[in-house]
Amino acid sequence: MGFDLLEPRTVAEAVELHARDGNAVFLAGGTALLILQRQGLPLPRRLISLRGIPGLDEITAGPGGGLRIGALATLRQVERHPLVVRRVPLLAEALRQVANVRVRHTATLGGNLAHGDYRLDPPAPLLVLGAQVRAVGIGGEREIALAAFFRGLFETALQPGEVVTELAIPPTPPSGGTYLKYALSSNDWPCVGAAALVALDDHGRCREVRLALTAVAAAPVLVRGLDELARGEPVSDRLAARLADIAAAQVEPVGDQRGSEWYKREMARVFARRALLAAARRAEAGPVGDGTKEPVA
Amino acid sequence: MNRNPLTVSVNGAEHVLSVPGDRRLLDLLRDELGLMGVREGCGVGACGTCTVLLDGVPVNACLTLAVTTRGRSVTTIEGLARDGELHPVQQAFLEERGFQCGFCTPGMILTAVGLLRENPSPTVEEVTDYLGGNLCRCAGYPDMIRAVLRGAERCREAGGRPSATPEGPEAARLRAMGKGEEG
Repeated sequence: MGFDLLEPRTVAEAVELHARDGNAVFLAGGTALLILQRQGLPLPRRLISLRGIPGLDEITAGPGGGLRIGALATLRQVERHPLVVRRVPLLAEALRQVANVRVRHTATLGGNLAHGDYRLDPPAPLLVLGAQVRAVGIGGEREIALAAFFRGLFETALQPGEVVTELAIPPTPPSGGTYLKYALSSNDWPCVGAAALVALDDHGRCREVRLALTAVAAAPVLVRGLDELARGEPVSDRLAARLADIAAAQVEPVGDQRGSEWYKREMARVFARRALLAAARRAEAGPVGDGTKEPVA
Repeated sequence: MNRNPLTVSVNGAEHVLSVPGDRRLLDLLRDELGLMGVREGCGVGACGTCTVLLDGVPVNACLTLAVTTRGRSVTTIEGLARDGELHPVQQAFLEERGFQCGFCTPGMILTAVGLLRENPSPTVEEVTDYLGGNLCRCAGYPDMIRAVLRGAERCREAGGRPSATPEGPEAARLRAMGKGEEG
Protein backbone atom coordinates (compact mmCIF):
# COMPACT_ATOMS: atom_id res chain seq x y z
CA MET A 1 0.00 0.00 0.00
CA GLY A 2 1.64 3.20 -1.11
CA PHE A 3 1.26 6.62 0.28
CA ASP A 4 2.22 9.72 -1.57
CA LEU A 5 2.24 13.39 -0.88
CA LEU A 6 1.88 15.25 -4.14
CA GLU A 7 3.01 18.85 -4.20
CA PRO A 8 1.63 20.74 -7.19
CA ARG A 9 2.82 24.30 -7.85
CA THR A 10 -0.41 25.63 -9.35
CA VAL A 11 -4.12 25.21 -8.69
CA ALA A 12 -4.58 23.88 -12.24
CA GLU A 13 -1.99 21.22 -11.58
CA ALA A 14 -3.67 20.27 -8.27
CA VAL A 15 -7.03 19.87 -9.95
CA GLU A 16 -5.42 17.85 -12.75
CA LEU A 17 -3.81 15.50 -10.22
CA HIS A 18 -7.17 14.87 -8.63
CA ALA A 19 -8.74 14.15 -12.01
CA ARG A 20 -6.20 11.36 -12.42
CA ASP A 21 -6.97 9.82 -9.01
CA GLY A 22 -10.44 10.51 -7.67
CA ASN A 23 -9.55 8.95 -4.31
CA ALA A 24 -6.89 11.53 -3.61
CA VAL A 25 -7.68 14.17 -0.98
CA PHE A 26 -6.59 17.80 -0.93
CA LEU A 27 -4.42 18.69 2.05
CA ALA A 28 -4.32 22.23 3.45
CA GLY A 29 -3.32 22.63 7.12
CA GLY A 30 -4.06 18.98 7.81
CA THR A 31 -5.33 19.40 11.39
CA ALA A 32 -8.80 17.97 10.72
CA LEU A 33 -7.37 15.11 8.66
CA LEU A 34 -4.96 14.08 11.41
CA ILE A 35 -7.68 14.19 14.04
CA LEU A 36 -9.77 11.90 11.83
CA GLN A 37 -6.78 9.58 11.50
CA ARG A 38 -6.42 9.55 15.25
CA GLN A 39 -10.09 8.64 15.53
CA GLY A 40 -9.45 5.57 13.41
CA LEU A 41 -10.15 6.69 9.85
CA PRO A 42 -7.22 5.68 7.65
CA LEU A 43 -5.53 8.47 5.74
CA PRO A 44 -6.17 8.46 2.01
CA ARG A 45 -3.28 6.93 0.05
CA ARG A 46 -2.67 10.05 -1.91
CA LEU A 47 -2.72 13.57 -0.57
CA ILE A 48 -2.50 16.60 -2.81
CA SER A 49 -0.86 19.30 -0.71
CA LEU A 50 -1.93 22.83 -1.55
CA ARG A 51 0.70 24.41 0.71
CA GLY A 52 3.32 24.84 -1.96
CA ILE A 53 1.11 26.80 -4.35
CA PRO A 54 2.41 30.38 -4.33
CA GLY A 55 -0.04 33.15 -3.49
CA LEU A 56 -2.82 30.96 -2.16
CA ASP A 57 -2.47 32.43 1.33
CA GLU A 58 -2.62 36.09 0.40
CA ILE A 59 -4.98 38.54 2.08
CA THR A 60 -5.80 41.60 0.01
CA ALA A 61 -8.22 44.51 -0.03
CA GLY A 62 -11.30 43.97 -2.16
CA PRO A 63 -13.21 46.66 -4.00
CA GLY A 64 -15.05 49.24 -1.89
CA GLY A 65 -13.92 48.05 1.52
CA GLY A 66 -14.22 44.30 1.06
CA LEU A 67 -11.54 41.67 1.46
CA ARG A 68 -10.12 38.70 -0.36
CA ILE A 69 -8.63 35.93 1.75
CA GLY A 70 -6.63 33.14 0.12
CA ALA A 71 -7.88 29.70 1.14
CA LEU A 72 -4.48 28.64 2.48
CA ALA A 73 -4.15 31.57 4.90
CA THR A 74 -3.92 30.13 8.40
CA LEU A 75 -6.55 31.15 10.93
CA ARG A 76 -3.81 32.95 12.82
CA GLN A 77 -2.67 34.91 9.76
CA VAL A 78 -6.25 36.00 9.18
CA GLU A 79 -6.99 36.98 12.79
CA ARG A 80 -3.85 39.15 12.99
CA HIS A 81 -3.99 40.72 9.56
CA PRO A 82 -4.41 44.52 9.84
CA LEU A 83 -6.98 44.59 7.02
CA VAL A 84 -9.10 41.97 8.77
CA VAL A 85 -8.78 43.66 12.16
CA ARG A 86 -9.82 46.99 10.62
CA ARG A 87 -12.47 46.03 8.10
CA VAL A 88 -14.07 42.92 9.63
CA PRO A 89 -13.18 42.90 13.33
CA LEU A 90 -16.03 40.43 13.82
CA LEU A 91 -14.03 37.79 11.93
CA ALA A 92 -10.85 38.45 13.92
CA GLU A 93 -12.85 38.26 17.16
CA ALA A 94 -14.29 34.88 16.16
CA LEU A 95 -11.02 33.37 14.96
CA ARG A 96 -9.29 34.28 18.22
CA GLN A 97 -11.75 31.91 19.90
CA VAL A 98 -10.93 28.88 17.73
CA ALA A 99 -9.13 25.99 19.49
CA ASN A 100 -5.67 27.17 20.59
CA VAL A 101 -2.91 29.22 19.05
CA ARG A 102 -0.99 26.17 17.74
CA VAL A 103 -3.98 24.82 15.87
CA ARG A 104 -4.62 28.30 14.46
CA HIS A 105 -1.00 28.47 13.28
CA THR A 106 -1.65 25.34 11.19
CA ALA A 107 -5.33 25.19 10.23
CA THR A 108 -6.40 27.21 7.20
CA LEU A 109 -9.59 29.15 6.54
CA GLY A 110 -10.30 27.33 3.27
CA GLY A 111 -9.69 23.95 4.88
CA ASN A 112 -11.98 24.86 7.75
CA LEU A 113 -14.85 25.56 5.35
CA ALA A 114 -14.22 22.60 3.04
CA HIS A 115 -14.18 20.25 6.04
CA GLY A 116 -17.90 20.95 6.54
CA ASP A 117 -17.93 20.08 10.24
CA TYR A 118 -21.14 21.29 11.93
CA ARG A 119 -19.49 22.71 15.04
CA LEU A 120 -16.77 25.00 13.71
CA ASP A 121 -16.61 28.67 14.66
CA PRO A 122 -15.49 30.46 11.44
CA PRO A 123 -18.60 29.70 9.34
CA ALA A 124 -20.85 31.79 11.64
CA PRO A 125 -19.08 35.15 11.23
CA LEU A 126 -18.43 34.46 7.54
CA LEU A 127 -22.13 33.76 6.97
CA VAL A 128 -23.22 37.08 8.48
CA LEU A 129 -20.50 38.84 6.47
CA GLY A 130 -22.01 37.39 3.28
CA ALA A 131 -18.79 35.66 2.19
CA GLN A 132 -18.44 34.06 -1.23
CA VAL A 133 -16.37 30.93 -1.77
CA ARG A 134 -14.30 30.70 -4.94
CA ALA A 135 -13.75 27.11 -6.04
CA VAL A 136 -11.79 25.66 -8.92
CA GLY A 137 -12.44 22.28 -10.50
CA ILE A 138 -11.51 20.52 -13.67
CA GLY A 139 -14.41 22.31 -15.39
CA GLY A 140 -13.30 25.78 -14.35
CA GLU A 141 -13.88 28.32 -11.63
CA ARG A 142 -17.08 29.33 -9.86
CA GLU A 143 -18.29 31.39 -6.93
CA ILE A 144 -20.58 29.91 -4.33
CA ALA A 145 -22.37 32.03 -1.73
CA LEU A 146 -21.39 30.67 1.66
CA ALA A 147 -25.11 30.62 2.52
CA ALA A 148 -25.50 27.93 -0.17
CA PHE A 149 -22.20 26.18 0.59
CA PHE A 150 -23.06 24.09 3.65
CA ARG A 151 -25.43 21.30 2.72
CA GLY A 152 -25.43 18.92 5.67
CA LEU A 153 -23.24 16.96 8.04
CA PHE A 154 -19.71 17.13 6.52
CA GLU A 155 -21.39 17.90 3.22
CA THR A 156 -20.68 21.01 1.16
CA ALA A 157 -21.54 22.27 -2.31
CA LEU A 158 -18.03 21.37 -3.49
CA GLN A 159 -17.96 18.76 -6.24
CA PRO A 160 -15.41 15.95 -6.03
CA GLY A 161 -12.12 17.37 -7.24
CA GLU A 162 -13.10 20.97 -6.60
CA VAL A 163 -10.79 22.99 -4.40
CA VAL A 164 -11.51 26.18 -2.44
CA THR A 165 -9.05 28.86 -3.54
CA GLU A 166 -10.36 32.07 -2.02
CA LEU A 167 -12.96 33.74 0.13
CA ALA A 168 -14.38 37.07 -0.89
CA ILE A 169 -15.97 39.22 1.80
CA PRO A 170 -18.04 42.08 0.40
CA PRO A 171 -18.05 45.52 2.03
CA THR A 172 -20.21 45.57 5.16
CA PRO A 173 -22.67 48.38 5.89
CA PRO A 174 -21.73 50.59 8.89
CA SER A 175 -22.61 48.21 11.68
CA GLY A 176 -21.65 46.54 14.91
CA GLY A 177 -20.79 42.86 15.05
CA THR A 178 -19.88 40.21 17.56
CA TYR A 179 -19.27 36.48 17.90
CA LEU A 180 -20.27 34.81 21.15
CA LYS A 181 -19.04 31.31 21.79
CA TYR A 182 -20.52 29.13 24.48
CA ALA A 183 -18.22 26.18 25.15
CA LEU A 184 -17.42 23.79 27.99
CA SER A 185 -13.82 25.02 28.00
CA SER A 186 -12.23 27.89 26.13
CA ASN A 187 -10.34 25.67 23.67
CA ASP A 188 -13.23 23.36 22.90
CA TRP A 189 -15.62 23.24 19.99
CA PRO A 190 -18.70 25.31 20.78
CA CYS A 191 -21.91 24.01 22.32
CA VAL A 192 -23.37 27.01 20.50
CA GLY A 193 -21.74 29.83 18.56
CA ALA A 194 -23.64 32.99 17.58
CA ALA A 195 -22.46 35.69 15.18
CA ALA A 196 -24.50 38.88 14.85
CA LEU A 197 -24.23 41.99 12.73
CA VAL A 198 -26.55 44.95 13.36
CA ALA A 199 -26.77 48.12 11.27
CA LEU A 200 -28.71 51.08 12.69
CA ASP A 201 -30.13 54.17 11.00
CA ASP A 202 -29.54 57.75 12.18
CA HIS A 203 -32.32 57.42 14.75
CA GLY A 204 -30.87 54.27 16.27
CA ARG A 205 -33.47 52.02 14.64
CA CYS A 206 -32.59 48.73 13.02
CA ARG A 207 -31.67 49.01 9.36
CA GLU A 208 -30.38 45.48 8.95
CA VAL A 209 -29.96 42.51 11.29
CA ARG A 210 -27.94 39.42 10.44
CA LEU A 211 -27.45 36.37 12.64
CA ALA A 212 -25.77 32.99 12.13
CA LEU A 213 -25.49 30.06 14.51
CA THR A 214 -23.08 27.15 14.57
CA ALA A 215 -23.08 23.73 16.26
CA VAL A 216 -26.89 23.70 16.49
CA ALA A 217 -27.77 21.86 13.26
CA ALA A 218 -26.12 19.47 10.82
CA ALA A 219 -24.70 22.56 9.11
CA PRO A 220 -24.20 26.20 10.18
CA VAL A 221 -27.43 28.21 10.07
CA LEU A 222 -27.91 31.68 8.59
CA VAL A 223 -31.13 32.77 10.27
CA ARG A 224 -33.82 34.01 7.86
CA GLY A 225 -36.59 36.53 8.26
CA LEU A 226 -35.15 38.79 10.95
CA ASP A 227 -35.32 42.02 8.97
CA GLU A 228 -39.08 41.73 8.45
CA LEU A 229 -39.55 42.06 12.19
CA ALA A 230 -36.60 44.28 13.03
CA ARG A 231 -36.41 46.92 10.29
CA GLY A 232 -37.32 50.35 11.59
CA GLU A 233 -37.63 49.13 15.18
CA PRO A 234 -35.59 50.56 18.03
CA VAL A 235 -33.25 48.09 19.71
CA SER A 236 -34.77 46.68 22.87
CA ASP A 237 -34.56 43.59 25.03
CA ARG A 238 -38.03 42.66 23.84
CA LEU A 239 -37.09 42.92 20.16
CA ALA A 240 -33.92 40.87 20.72
CA ALA A 241 -35.94 38.20 22.52
CA ARG A 242 -38.44 37.98 19.65
CA LEU A 243 -35.61 37.73 17.09
CA ALA A 244 -33.96 35.04 19.21
CA ASP A 245 -37.22 33.08 19.17
CA ILE A 246 -37.18 33.18 15.36
CA ALA A 247 -33.59 31.88 15.45
CA ALA A 248 -34.40 29.08 17.90
CA ALA A 249 -37.19 27.92 15.60
CA GLN A 250 -34.75 27.55 12.71
CA VAL A 251 -32.11 25.39 14.40
CA GLU A 252 -32.21 21.61 14.35
CA PRO A 253 -29.63 20.59 16.91
CA VAL A 254 -27.86 17.28 16.89
CA GLY A 255 -27.30 16.35 20.51
CA ASP A 256 -23.62 15.81 21.27
CA GLN A 257 -21.41 15.67 24.35
CA ARG A 258 -21.67 19.47 24.59
CA GLY A 259 -25.41 19.52 24.96
CA SER A 260 -28.64 17.67 24.24
CA GLU A 261 -30.95 18.70 21.43
CA TRP A 262 -33.20 20.57 23.87
CA TYR A 263 -30.31 22.27 25.67
CA LYS A 264 -28.67 23.43 22.47
CA ARG A 265 -31.91 24.92 21.19
CA GLU A 266 -32.40 26.85 24.42
CA MET A 267 -28.77 28.01 24.44
CA ALA A 268 -29.13 29.04 20.79
CA ARG A 269 -32.01 31.27 21.93
CA VAL A 270 -29.99 32.74 24.81
CA PHE A 271 -26.81 33.39 22.80
CA ALA A 272 -28.70 34.71 19.77
CA ARG A 273 -30.33 37.32 22.03
CA ARG A 274 -27.06 38.24 23.73
CA ALA A 275 -25.18 38.47 20.44
CA LEU A 276 -27.83 40.71 18.87
CA LEU A 277 -27.82 43.08 21.84
CA ALA A 278 -24.00 43.17 21.98
CA ALA A 279 -23.77 43.86 18.24
CA ALA A 280 -26.38 46.63 18.54
CA ARG A 281 -24.43 48.23 21.40
CA ARG A 282 -21.33 48.23 19.21
CA ALA A 283 -23.29 49.72 16.34
CA GLU A 284 -24.40 52.53 18.68
CA ALA A 285 -20.91 53.07 20.07
CA GLY A 286 -19.14 53.31 16.72
CA PRO A 287 -20.02 51.37 13.63
CA VAL A 288 -17.44 49.70 11.40
CA GLY A 289 -17.79 49.36 7.66
CA ASP A 290 -18.46 51.45 4.58
CA GLY A 291 -18.63 55.16 5.12
CA THR A 292 -16.73 55.08 8.40
CA LYS A 293 -13.35 56.69 8.33
CA GLU A 294 -10.57 54.15 8.41
CA PRO A 295 -7.55 54.91 10.57
CA VAL A 296 -4.43 55.68 8.59
CA ALA A 297 -2.18 52.64 8.58
CA MET B 1 3.98 2.38 2.88
CA ASN B 2 5.86 4.35 0.28
CA ARG B 3 8.70 6.17 1.84
CA ASN B 4 8.95 9.83 1.01
CA PRO B 5 12.22 11.76 0.92
CA LEU B 6 12.44 14.44 3.57
CA THR B 7 15.15 17.00 4.20
CA VAL B 8 14.45 18.99 7.33
CA SER B 9 16.44 21.05 9.78
CA VAL B 10 15.96 19.91 13.38
CA ASN B 11 17.54 21.97 16.14
CA GLY B 12 19.92 23.49 13.62
CA ALA B 13 21.14 20.21 12.10
CA GLU B 14 20.03 19.15 8.64
CA HIS B 15 18.60 15.63 8.39
CA VAL B 16 18.14 13.76 5.13
CA LEU B 17 15.49 11.15 5.83
CA SER B 18 13.07 8.82 4.18
CA VAL B 19 9.74 8.62 5.99
CA PRO B 20 6.41 6.86 5.50
CA GLY B 21 3.91 9.42 4.26
CA ASP B 22 1.51 8.99 7.16
CA ARG B 23 4.13 9.45 9.88
CA ARG B 24 3.42 12.31 12.24
CA LEU B 25 6.16 14.80 13.04
CA LEU B 26 5.73 13.74 16.68
CA ASP B 27 6.70 10.12 15.91
CA LEU B 28 9.55 11.14 13.64
CA LEU B 29 11.10 13.33 16.33
CA ARG B 30 10.72 10.78 19.12
CA ASP B 31 11.21 7.42 17.41
CA GLU B 32 13.73 8.26 14.70
CA LEU B 33 15.60 11.22 16.14
CA GLY B 34 15.29 10.30 19.83
CA LEU B 35 14.01 13.71 20.92
CA MET B 36 12.00 12.64 23.96
CA GLY B 37 11.19 16.19 25.05
CA VAL B 38 8.38 16.06 22.48
CA ARG B 39 5.56 14.28 24.29
CA GLU B 40 2.23 12.90 23.31
CA GLY B 41 -0.61 13.86 25.60
CA CYS B 42 -3.98 13.95 23.88
CA GLY B 43 -2.90 13.32 20.28
CA VAL B 44 -5.61 15.66 18.95
CA GLY B 45 -4.04 19.09 19.32
CA ALA B 46 -5.74 20.02 22.56
CA CYS B 47 -3.10 19.70 25.30
CA GLY B 48 0.10 21.27 23.97
CA THR B 49 2.65 18.77 25.30
CA CYS B 50 3.89 17.98 21.76
CA THR B 51 4.48 21.64 20.87
CA VAL B 52 7.47 22.33 18.62
CA LEU B 53 8.51 25.47 16.79
CA LEU B 54 8.09 25.12 13.03
CA ASP B 55 9.92 28.00 11.35
CA GLY B 56 9.77 29.69 14.74
CA VAL B 57 6.02 29.31 15.19
CA PRO B 58 4.51 26.93 17.78
CA VAL B 59 2.49 24.07 16.29
CA ASN B 60 1.29 20.64 17.42
CA ALA B 61 3.67 17.89 16.30
CA CYS B 62 0.74 15.46 16.65
CA LEU B 63 -1.25 17.29 13.97
CA THR B 64 1.63 17.74 11.54
CA LEU B 65 2.60 15.17 8.92
CA ALA B 66 6.36 14.79 8.89
CA VAL B 67 6.53 15.05 5.09
CA THR B 68 4.97 18.50 5.19
CA THR B 69 8.02 19.87 7.05
CA ARG B 70 10.21 19.43 3.97
CA GLY B 71 12.74 22.26 3.75
CA ARG B 72 11.56 23.80 7.00
CA SER B 73 13.10 24.30 10.41
CA VAL B 74 11.95 22.46 13.55
CA THR B 75 13.01 23.38 17.09
CA THR B 76 12.32 21.13 20.08
CA ILE B 77 13.12 21.78 23.73
CA GLU B 78 16.46 20.02 23.17
CA GLY B 79 17.43 22.77 20.73
CA LEU B 80 16.84 25.82 22.91
CA ALA B 81 19.98 25.88 25.06
CA ARG B 82 23.12 27.36 23.48
CA ASP B 83 26.66 26.28 24.40
CA GLY B 84 25.50 24.71 27.65
CA GLU B 85 23.59 27.82 28.63
CA LEU B 86 19.84 27.59 29.09
CA HIS B 87 17.53 29.79 27.04
CA PRO B 88 16.35 32.78 29.12
CA VAL B 89 12.83 31.35 29.23
CA GLN B 90 14.14 27.98 30.47
CA GLN B 91 16.19 29.77 33.12
CA ALA B 92 13.14 31.77 34.18
CA PHE B 93 11.06 28.59 34.54
CA LEU B 94 13.74 27.21 36.87
CA GLU B 95 13.89 30.37 38.96
CA GLU B 96 10.12 30.75 39.24
CA ARG B 97 9.67 26.99 39.77
CA GLY B 98 7.35 26.96 36.77
CA PHE B 99 6.83 23.20 36.84
CA GLN B 100 6.08 20.28 39.11
CA CYS B 101 6.10 16.90 37.37
CA GLY B 102 7.58 18.45 34.23
CA PHE B 103 5.55 16.58 31.63
CA CYS B 104 4.00 19.70 30.13
CA THR B 105 7.11 21.86 30.59
CA PRO B 106 8.71 21.53 27.11
CA GLY B 107 5.42 22.49 25.48
CA MET B 108 4.92 25.39 27.87
CA ILE B 109 8.41 26.77 27.28
CA LEU B 110 8.28 26.42 23.49
CA THR B 111 4.86 28.06 23.37
CA ALA B 112 6.21 30.88 25.55
CA VAL B 113 9.19 31.33 23.21
CA GLY B 114 6.74 31.49 20.29
CA LEU B 115 4.76 34.18 22.12
CA LEU B 116 7.87 36.26 22.82
CA ARG B 117 8.92 36.10 19.19
CA GLU B 118 5.62 37.73 18.27
CA ASN B 119 5.27 39.96 21.28
CA PRO B 120 8.39 40.73 23.36
CA SER B 121 6.44 42.52 26.12
CA PRO B 122 3.24 40.57 26.76
CA THR B 123 0.78 41.45 29.51
CA VAL B 124 -0.45 38.82 31.98
CA GLU B 125 -3.66 38.56 29.93
CA GLU B 126 -1.71 38.01 26.72
CA VAL B 127 0.42 35.29 28.34
CA THR B 128 -2.67 33.58 29.76
CA ASP B 129 -4.42 33.75 26.41
CA TYR B 130 -1.47 32.42 24.39
CA LEU B 131 -0.70 29.61 26.84
CA GLY B 132 -4.41 28.82 27.18
CA GLY B 133 -4.06 25.70 25.04
CA ASN B 134 -1.22 24.18 27.10
CA LEU B 135 -2.60 22.00 29.85
CA CYS B 136 -0.91 21.25 33.17
CA ARG B 137 -2.38 18.59 35.46
CA CYS B 138 -0.31 19.83 38.40
CA ALA B 139 -1.98 23.22 37.82
CA GLY B 140 1.06 25.34 38.51
CA TYR B 141 -0.18 28.05 36.18
CA PRO B 142 0.59 31.18 38.28
CA ASP B 143 4.26 30.14 38.57
CA MET B 144 4.43 29.55 34.83
CA ILE B 145 2.91 32.91 34.01
CA ARG B 146 5.47 34.59 36.27
CA ALA B 147 8.18 32.55 34.57
CA VAL B 148 7.10 33.72 31.12
CA LEU B 149 7.04 37.36 32.25
CA ARG B 150 10.51 36.98 33.78
CA GLY B 151 11.72 35.22 30.64
CA ALA B 152 10.38 38.11 28.56
CA GLU B 153 12.29 40.57 30.74
CA ARG B 154 15.51 38.59 30.35
CA CYS B 155 15.10 38.37 26.59
CA ARG B 156 14.59 42.12 26.41
CA GLU B 157 17.62 42.76 28.62
CA ALA B 158 19.71 40.48 26.43
CA GLY B 159 18.45 42.61 23.53
CA GLY B 160 18.27 39.57 21.30
CA ARG B 161 15.55 37.55 19.75
CA PRO B 162 13.91 35.09 22.12
CA SER B 163 15.20 32.22 20.02
CA ALA B 164 18.22 31.52 17.88
CA THR B 165 16.02 29.56 15.49
CA PRO B 166 16.28 30.72 11.89
CA GLU B 167 13.44 33.06 11.08
CA GLY B 168 10.98 31.31 8.79
CA PRO B 169 8.67 33.15 6.41
CA GLU B 170 5.67 32.37 8.61
CA ALA B 171 7.24 33.93 11.69
CA ALA B 172 8.38 36.96 9.71
CA ARG B 173 4.88 37.43 8.33
CA LEU B 174 3.23 37.16 11.72
CA ARG B 175 5.70 39.59 13.20
CA ALA B 176 5.13 42.06 10.38
CA MET B 177 1.40 41.80 10.97
CA GLY B 178 1.86 42.52 14.66
CA LYS B 179 3.70 45.71 13.75
CA GLY B 180 0.98 46.62 11.27
CA GLU B 181 -1.67 46.40 13.96
CA GLU B 182 -0.03 49.09 16.01
CA GLY B 183 0.22 51.45 13.04
